[in-house]
Amino acid sequence: MAATKRLQKELVDIRNSGLKSFRDIHVDETNILTWQGLIVPDNPPYNKGAFKIEINFPAEYPFKPPKINFKTKIYHPNIDEKGQVCLPIISAENWKPATRTDQVIQALVALVNEPEPEHPLRADLAEEYLKDKKKFTKNAEEFTKKHSEKRPAE
Amino acid sequence: MTFLLNFFRRILDRMLQLFYFGQHNISNTLNIYVKTNNGNTLSINLDPQWDIKNVKEVVAPKLGLHPEEVKIIFAGKELGDTITIAECDLGQCSILHAVKSKHRRSLAGAVVEEVIEEFGSKPLCETLKDLSTEDSSNNVIEQPKAHFFVYCSICKGLKTGKLRVKCQFCKSGAFTVHADPQSWVDVLESKRITGQCENDPDLCANILDNAEPTFAEFYFKCAEHTSLGEEDKAVPLDLIRPNVHSIPCLACGDISTPILVFPCAEAHVTCLECFVTYCSTRLRDRQFLEHPDFGYTLSCPARCENSLITETHHFRLMPEAQYSQYQQFATEEFVLSTGGVLCPQPGCGMGIIPEPDCIKIRCTGGCGYVFCRLCLQGYHIGDCAPFDPESNTDRIDTEFNVDPALVSQARWDEASKVAIRVLTKPCPKCKTPTERDGGCMHMVCTRGGCGFNWCWVCQTPWTTDCMGSHWFG
Repeated sequence: MAATKRLQKELVDIRNSGLKSFRDIHVDETNILTWQGLIVPDNPPYNKGAFKIEINFPAEYPFKPPKINFKTKIYHPNIDEKGQVCLPIISAENWKPATRTDQVIQALVALVNEPEPEHPLRADLAEEYLKDKKKFTKNAEEFTKKHSEKRPAE
Repeated sequence: MTFLLNFFRRILDRMLQLFYFGQHNISNTLNIYVKTNNGNTLSINLDPQWDIKNVKEVVAPKLGLHPEEVKIIFAGKELGDTITIAECDLGQCSILHAVKSKHRRSLAGAVVEEVIEEFGSKPLCETLKDLSTEDSSNNVIEQPKAHFFVYCSICKGLKTGKLRVKCQFCKSGAFTVHADPQSWVDVLESKRITGQCENDPDLCANILDNAEPTFAEFYFKCAEHTSLGEEDKAVPLDLIRPNVHSIPCLACGDISTPILVFPCAEAHVTCLECFVTYCSTRLRDRQFLEHPDFGYTLSCPARCENSLITETHHFRLMPEAQYSQYQQFATEEFVLSTGGVLCPQPGCGMGIIPEPDCIKIRCTGGCGYVFCRLCLQGYHIGDCAPFDPESNTDRIDTEFNVDPALVSQARWDEASKVAIRVLTKPCPKCKTPTERDGGCMHMVCTRGGCGFNWCWVCQTPWTTDCMGSHWFG
């Protein structure tokens, strides 16, 4: 099966790459289609914590894109309360089978570090981000300290 | 003394030769048909070790000719005397063509050509290189011999193929090409390679009035089953190639052979397993495209421009069940593209091609449903009503005293019909019932070739007003 073969290869590569911003990758041996890992952002206000995500690959992978869900609550204009995230690289109309999961994760980390209020999933946070950046940063920082995971030691 | 010695040697040679032939006749002989240009077909047994000279010696007496007067033609080439049968890529029941050599012409210009003909050449399978996609001959190809893959309708699957040649005009296989084809264009398009029809050269040249040269017509045979005659053809799958450059599959990353090379500028490669997955995935989402010339087809998975597969027999690589679904979708899309409609009753879907201005459509030959062509709902008088799931539930005439609620539940397949009515809204452009399973209100029709951007709330084209007032509901 194409999905299994490809994901086994990608998992080995991603574990060997020593990516600092995506760690603690857990994959159930009986189901390679679900990955869990920890996003560790560099930019404030999210650099006060880490965020658990789950990547779900469809059986038709890589001809259909994976879906990403945040398992840790995050105060971010592009990620909604359910943990859904809108990432153009994995949208149905942009997806290419040659796109690799490490590219998807890098795009996700970039989005977490630099919110895109022009394409929000949470209009209220986008408005706050654009109109009162200071207040947004303060709220996001408090939210991160309260809800996020512990950052792994270097 | 020398005379005697020679005499004995000759006898010994003859005996050895007899023994040699006898042995091979038993072990492995090829049953070959030889077609002559006076319409006869001979069946002969050949030893793979023989050369063409031996063949001529066997065939000539049956034609009432001398061996030197006979030309043996196979797959577009006159075979030279020293070629062995084993070199010719002949299968059981293959057809060779034997024609009488023309008398030496005295025209000065023809001399050079005659000299070449006298040697004959190697068979096509020995001289032909792997064909390039482009119409150019300067590609360096390491592989010495050509490889072709075909879809064989007799073996029902992907098989290796053999290239064969006939006269485009009289369809006779007694035809010699002036040059080997260099690209797929040379093979797949007509009037690219000229040649000489040996069946009745004067006839073909005269009828064409010598105004244009005689052209070769190429076709393919399955290499894996015994030839069933000249009409036994197979469809060439020109995108399937041996992986001579060891290119990894763009989807799974494995290096396998053969592979499928998409007709895009970058010539993206997938392994055959991933190609089948790709086709099945796109088929399930109905994202093939109906093209007026190529049919129901797909483009490169990397979304390259101008990369549609032109030979739809490549989709035969899908399993049988999916291929029949492919055929069904292809037929439906064809009906729609020619201005027809599909019966909107769940479970029917009959294709109907009505008169252009006919609005009231009856599903004749199908379920008998009468519907409006514009809104695809039950036929009505006056303007189409805006879509409302409640109003669609069929009226049930209860002549007996039964509970209407129970009646409506007790219908075969009713659950899915209700689900389609309640959970879906039609795409405002193509009317495909569409379910929204999360996300924003901005809908993009997923049916291949539609892709209409619409608003789930307004059921009209998506506008900036929709974005401002109810993007997320």
